Amino acid sequence: MKIAVIIKQTPDTETVVKINDAGNDIVGTGVKYVMSPYCEFAVEEALRTKEKLGGEVVVVSLGPDRVLETIRTALAMGCDRAIHLKDPAYEGGDGQATAKALAAALKTVSPDIVFAGKQAIDGDQSQVAVRVAELAGLAQATIVTALEIAADGKTAKATRRSEGGGEVVELKLPALISCEKGLNEPRYASLPGIMKAKKKEVKELKPAELGLEGQVGAAGAKAKRVKLLPLAERKAGRRIEAETPEAAAAELVRLLREEAKVL
Amino acid sequence: MLRKGAKAAFQGAAVASRTFASGSPKAAPERLAGPPKRPDLFDLSLTDEQTMIRESVKQFTDDVVRPAAAKADEACAPPDGFLERFDELGVRLMAIPEAFGGMAGERSPLTNVLVLEELARGDMGLAFAAAAPLAVIHALVDGGTAAQQAKYLAAFAEEKPFAAAFALVEPRPLFDAHRLATKARRSGEGFVLSGEKAMVPWAKSAQLLLVAADLEGAGPRLFLVERGTNGVTLEPDPSMGLRSADLGRLHLDDVAVPRDALLGGDEPALDYATVIDRARMAWSALAVGCGQAVLDYVIPYCNERVAFGEPITNRQSVAFMIANIAIELDGLRLVLYRAASRAEHGQSFRREAALARAQAAEKGMEIGTNGVQLLGGHGFVKEHPVELWYRHLRAIGIAEGGLLV
Repeated sequence: MKIAVIIKQTPDTETVVKINDAGNDIVGTGVKYVMSPYCEFAVEEALRTKEKLGGEVVVVSLGPDRVLETIRTALAMGCDRAIHLKDPAYEGGDGQATAKALAAALKTVSPDIVFAGKQAIDGDQSQVAVRVAELAGLAQATIVTALEIAADGKTAKATRRSEGGGEVVELKLPALISCEKGLNEPRYASLPGIMKAKKKEVKELKPAELGLEGQVGAAGAKAKRVKLLPLAERKAGRRIEAETPEAAAAELVRLLREEAKVL
Repeated sequence: MLRKGAKAAFQGAAVASRTFASGSPKAAPERLAGPPKRPDLFDLSLTDEQTMIRESVKQFTDDVVRPAAAKADEACAPPDGFLERFDELGVRLMAIPEAFGGMAGERSPLTNVLVLEELARGDMGLAFAAAAPLAVIHALVDGGTAAQQAKYLAAFAEEKPFAAAFALVEPRPLFDAHRLATKARRSGEGFVLSGEKAMVPWAKSAQLLLVAADLEGAGPRLFLVERGTNGVTLEPDPSMGLRSADLGRLHLDDVAVPRDALLGGDEPALDYATVIDRARMAWSALAVGCGQAVLDYVIPYCNERVAFGEPITNRQSVAFMIANIAIELDGLRLVLYRAASRAEHGQSFRREAALARAQAAEKGMEIGTNGVQLLGGHGFVKEHPVELWYRHLRAIGIAEGGLLV
């Protein structure tokens, strides 16, 4: 079975990001980058699929040099080889431009199944996976929390999380699965895996090699980010001073009812 | 007054008498480059693989080790399945040569130091437990005979890990790793061991023990002793710190072992003193990791803790104490990495290992006690982990053996 997984490198959740002077991007220096957590579920599911049904797992990622670190992590977890879409021309794209490049790269793999995170934790747009599926002509199930692939590798049954419940869908492969928390418990990159990762193939593909010159990155984007807004600063809490605990509680109830209007 | 006046006059005279010629300026200013790179000098930059290994162990530490620490301390044992969980990182297979079913291609003391350090940041006792079987594996790889390797390394490379321990420390005053009270005497085809060992991890479950004993006055040697051998008793003996490692006391009552139990046979490939050096680096690595845990904990705590209307870090007595922890910790780390790097490059590292160990024992304890101090009353209660780290760090000064890098 040919298995592909698309991953994104994002700032670590613990990183405190700062907005640059132009106001349209974050300051890159001092930021620690990791694999987006939902992409970890995707890599794990890809590896489990391979362990069950055999085949090969190909990692595909788009981004600058630093993304290689995240690709190596996926290879250390057990993926077999990687495609790195690395070129200045890929930069500055929106979900559509990125999906176009990834879909074209996937074509060189012709996978039976593609795994992706349900969203990246930086832009939180949930655009790329669904667009890749459309552009590559794949069936898709999004926000998947459980997956069963038939032994013949022709169909799959996916459980999707939806508001307050779930939904089970059947798909014909080739298909794309976007992965949600709960689908699995991602493995650690093991020491032997890490030592082997460096010997695995990471193929770089330029836009020209995908026949996409002038159609990816900023040039291919239909939406452009004009401004990033910082999180609104939280107002300081209010302290209730009263003679007795009873009086304080009464005052709290009054404020909740009259000011916050939540009671 | 007179003296000060005379000095000022003298300096003034010197300044007035000197004039500087303009010289002939070059097209660009002259700067000096560094000396050519000397590959024989120790290099502290990590390889990409080491960086990734540290990151992976860090994840495991944050997910598994740290959350289990308090309960394991109370239970005086690692949580069920801990060794199996730790095995997901593949550290065991990375220590065993491919010929025996492992995946080791190289022997890197520095990588081992990094792994121990990261684990101990989660919990020093659990780090001791996780790495205890590795010490026996390393000793077999470095010094075992072909027969010993075939028998035990193959068993270590099986699908599931098992507990094993390197027993060195003896419960007596002024214990000296080079003057052992545990004795081995030749008897017929084999040896008979007698004596007592303390601080042995995995008291309840260790299957294989590497025991240091003095061989008929010829100095200390290492023996492979199977748990089930007649005369072997290993009973739990919880201590102040490292409780989560399931510490025990080992009694050897005239334990008869075969000739093949002597590690390396009559012509050992592994120098006993080197084993001690490697163990000292390992304990220093645990001290660094635990010290880092203290530092990472006290900084946000003291920044957020408000007393007398302001964060307590605004007080110099607090800020200086934290700064000193950071300084000592970095100093210790550098000494330790230097020792590990020299070991890795085949250079002598005895002196460096001893320095690291001395520094770890003294500064480790200081960091532990200051961690408790910085939290004031909160440092004394179990709600915060600093009291646990203090108890762990007390162990560095008395621990010997047990671990290898």
